[in-house]
Amino acid sequence: MTALLETGKLCKRFGGVVALDELDMAVARNEILGLIGPNGSGKTTFFNVVTGIYSTDAGRVRFDGADITNAAARAVYRAGIFRTFQRSRLSLPLSIFDNIMIGDHKRLDQRLWFNLMRRRAFKREFEQACGRARALIEVFEPALAERMFEPVAGLPMIDRRRIEICRALISEPKLLLLDEPSAGMTHDETAELMNDIFLVRERNKNLTIVIVEHEMGVIERITDRCVVLNFGRKIAEGRYRDVAADAQVQEAYLGVA
Amino acid sequence: MIDKSGAALWPGLAVVTIATGYLIALLAAERETVIIALLILGIVAVAAAARLKLLDAVHGSFARHEDTLGRFAIVAALAVAAFFHDDHFVMLLLTTVLLYSVATLGLNIQIGYAGVLNFAGASFFGIGAYTSAVLNAQTALPHLLVIAIGGLLAALIGSVLLLPVLRTRGHYAAVVTIAFALLFRTFLEVNDVFGGPQGMQVKGMTMLGWSFNDNIEIGGVTLSLYMNYFVVSLLLLIGVFVLTQRLERSWIGLNLDALRLDETAAACFGLDIARWKTAAFVVGNFLIGVAGALFAMVGGFVAPNNYTFEDSLILVSILLLGGIGNPWGVVVAAVIVVVLPEKLQAIAEYRFLLYALMVIAMLLFRPSGLLPRSVRRYFPGQPS
Amino acid sequence: MIVELLAQYVMNGLMLGMMYALVAVGFTLFFGVLDVIQFSHGDVLTVGAFTALAAFVGLHTLGLGSRWLDLVVIVLAATLAMALLGMVIARYFIMPLRAAPALNTLLITLMLGTVLREAVRLFYPEGANPKPFPALLPRDAVALGAFNLRLDNVLMLAAGAGVIVGLQFVLSRTRLGLAIRAVAQDEETARTMGINFTAIVLITFAIGSAMAAFAGVMNGLYYNEINFGIGLYLGVVGFSAAIIGGLGSVYGAILGGFLFAGLQTVGAVLLPFASAYKDVFAFAVVIAIMAWRPTGLIREKISERV
Repeated sequence: MTALLETGKLCKRFGGVVALDELDMAVARNEILGLIGPNGSGKTTFFNVVTGIYSTDAGRVRFDGADITNAAARAVYRAGIFRTFQRSRLSLPLSIFDNIMIGDHKRLDQRLWFNLMRRRAFKREFEQACGRARALIEVFEPALAERMFEPVAGLPMIDRRRIEICRALISEPKLLLLDEPSAGMTHDETAELMNDIFLVRERNKNLTIVIVEHEMGVIERITDRCVVLNFGRKIAEGRYRDVAADAQVQEAYLGVA
Repeated sequence: MIDKSGAALWPGLAVVTIATGYLIALLAAERETVIIALLILGIVAVAAAARLKLLDAVHGSFARHEDTLGRFAIVAALAVAAFFHDDHFVMLLLTTVLLYSVATLGLNIQIGYAGVLNFAGASFFGIGAYTSAVLNAQTALPHLLVIAIGGLLAALIGSVLLLPVLRTRGHYAAVVTIAFALLFRTFLEVNDVFGGPQGMQVKGMTMLGWSFNDNIEIGGVTLSLYMNYFVVSLLLLIGVFVLTQRLERSWIGLNLDALRLDETAAACFGLDIARWKTAAFVVGNFLIGVAGALFAMVGGFVAPNNYTFEDSLILVSILLLGGIGNPWGVVVAAVIVVVLPEKLQAIAEYRFLLYALMVIAMLLFRPSGLLPRSVRRYFPGQPS
Repeated sequence: MIVELLAQYVMNGLMLGMMYALVAVGFTLFFGVLDVIQFSHGDVLTVGAFTALAAFVGLHTLGLGSRWLDLVVIVLAATLAMALLGMVIARYFIMPLRAAPALNTLLITLMLGTVLREAVRLFYPEGANPKPFPALLPRDAVALGAFNLRLDNVLMLAAGAGVIVGLQFVLSRTRLGLAIRAVAQDEETARTMGINFTAIVLITFAIGSAMAAFAGVMNGLYYNEINFGIGLYLGVVGFSAAIIGGLGSVYGAILGGFLFAGLQTVGAVLLPFASAYKDVFAFAVVIAIMAWRPTGLIREKISERV
């Protein structure tokens, strides 16, 4: 079976700093892959290169059978990859509904004439969108579904994370890249969020997830497989338990030379 | 969608009625002391209403019954015009308010929604105006077409700035447009083709043989010639206002907000940033140019001094005072900004200074403006 | 004749470049410590020039003053007053808006610029008209072949260079400079190192604004005339110069200033149309440069954490 996402000798440098060093990665269909490694080991850079925020210096990225090396961010989105950000990147003045629908861009009719002049048709599409958003958010937190048209600015971190996950899932991507979903949350909140993600995945078995996370408990519990990065290179790969026992990995984390 | 707020219609109706009466009183007042007393009364009344939480009811009323209140506001505007039907000065002033509102709504699409900064609003207004001046003098094109061409030219010349505006963000785009504003004004002053510093006369509008520059006689009642322009400008404003609202309440409005608030994230969510920025900039400049073209015919005269960088800042001030992103705020602020210096001649000379100070105070103490934009409601009455 | 004319152009280009550089450095410094563009910077220059003029008029109404005393007093008055003004702007208008969207900071400085410009126009006696500025420097000339090298120009260039070298010294060799650079690098780290962030920001604004005032006095002495609009022009050009050099770099700003002046001078020599269009040309160059290379920004983008 071919991998869903595959990179070959991927390189990214910032000035003299090598962030990704000939990285070969393969993400299998329907798996949950943990991407771990010390700070600055290139995890987020990997996301940024794959999603088209940074250009690659060398190497290839293939997704679902197509070459997406150096594709623009929006082309990557259209291909079916959705990412979340380390820091919460919701648009605070906008409503919960608006923030979620930003993620469903490819399914919404963007034509000027439709949006301005065909208000009845627009209203139908709007109501369908409302239904989709409501159904999704109810999985996470039914109370939020009742407040869909309130701004997200006043919401606690856990709710913001939920909305970000909804925004990622609403377009039914094939691959979800989660960048430290636990950041800014307590243990319990993280656990709750992970359960919710599992629930969604129960419904949609085709969802592949790559997760960057510092909470090793989360990684241990949810991932099928892990890849460990250090200085932009893959130093280990396998089930979490095996990887965690790896001498090289321990060295990298503890900084023992 | 079920409305759970159950907001009543009457607070909205009451406010529009009171505001209309107040505006009539202010416009009719001749003596400076009366005008100042009225202004103080207005400020105190608004402050008191805010203090007593009366404005929340008004806000709810507008959210629920916006269409009805919009129609009522049109009636109110016509009532004010009827009251001053033979007063040239006031009718000209009202027409100015309407056209400044149209121009600022264009600016609102750029700055308020797409976040594309434009500090050359008056220049694009001027491009429309000079188009009217030249085409009305040199050609026999129908004047409605001339107005459209004015808008198109503003959009076209604005497109020259698109590359720098698109490739840069925030502050940088600001400098590009400031440089353009200074360039435009200097250019008008030094060349002879467009009349140099003295400017040009503009022929008044005619439509289907109807000359707008004659007073209207209906059954013994004389209407000011500016009534012609008032009606056309009001129709223009209504059209632009409705389209602006629909734009905001659509997926396009959502796109523009998303890219304004976080461009990088928006790109990851599939938005074509360049396309939407371009669209917003071009459409905005078109509207500003249209308003400028019509305004030149109203005023009958164009000169470089009317399209300075400071005038651009006046448009920005209207947007900020009203509340960025809220079309209602734009109209209210346009009334304040345009009417105040005309009624209080003592401050006319100081208007740039005064508005700059007002905006500074606003930014420090109430950055969302007099009428802050509310969370997007895609349809009136949708719960918020 | 040709050589003489050419030398004239070069001299003029150098004078312009020095003024642009002095203004550009301010933009770069402010951007460094607060990540803001101080859009009223150019108008601070205007107020500085008018402060100098007022000081000169004041001295003469008091019956005091000789050429050199005049010079010292007006330079001191302008730079000190503008240093103060710069600090006030930073403290009460820019810093309170740090948490607000960037647009608000931009607008508030833009509007402050309008306030300063309009205040000069309205409240300085006959401020709406161009005002003669005294020629305080000796105008003797040294003949170099066909070209007359004017002493006042040389003195001004030397003084400008002195200011820039002085700034460079402060930035690279003193504790204050170290603190400024630390704040520019990373505010948080600087704070944890025990640097008083607010104080450093204010001092930086004082230095930058004083330099603008200096440029304003130079402008007056060079053209023997000032008007309320000079700052707006010099501000836009100075900002573009700062961008050419890569916003945030002091050397870049200086280089950008001279480069812009060079472009302008070459344009004036080569382009056939009348000198009336020289400002139009200058602003067109600004727009073209922004289209061609908005570099500072790209660097800023890369470092953004996503």
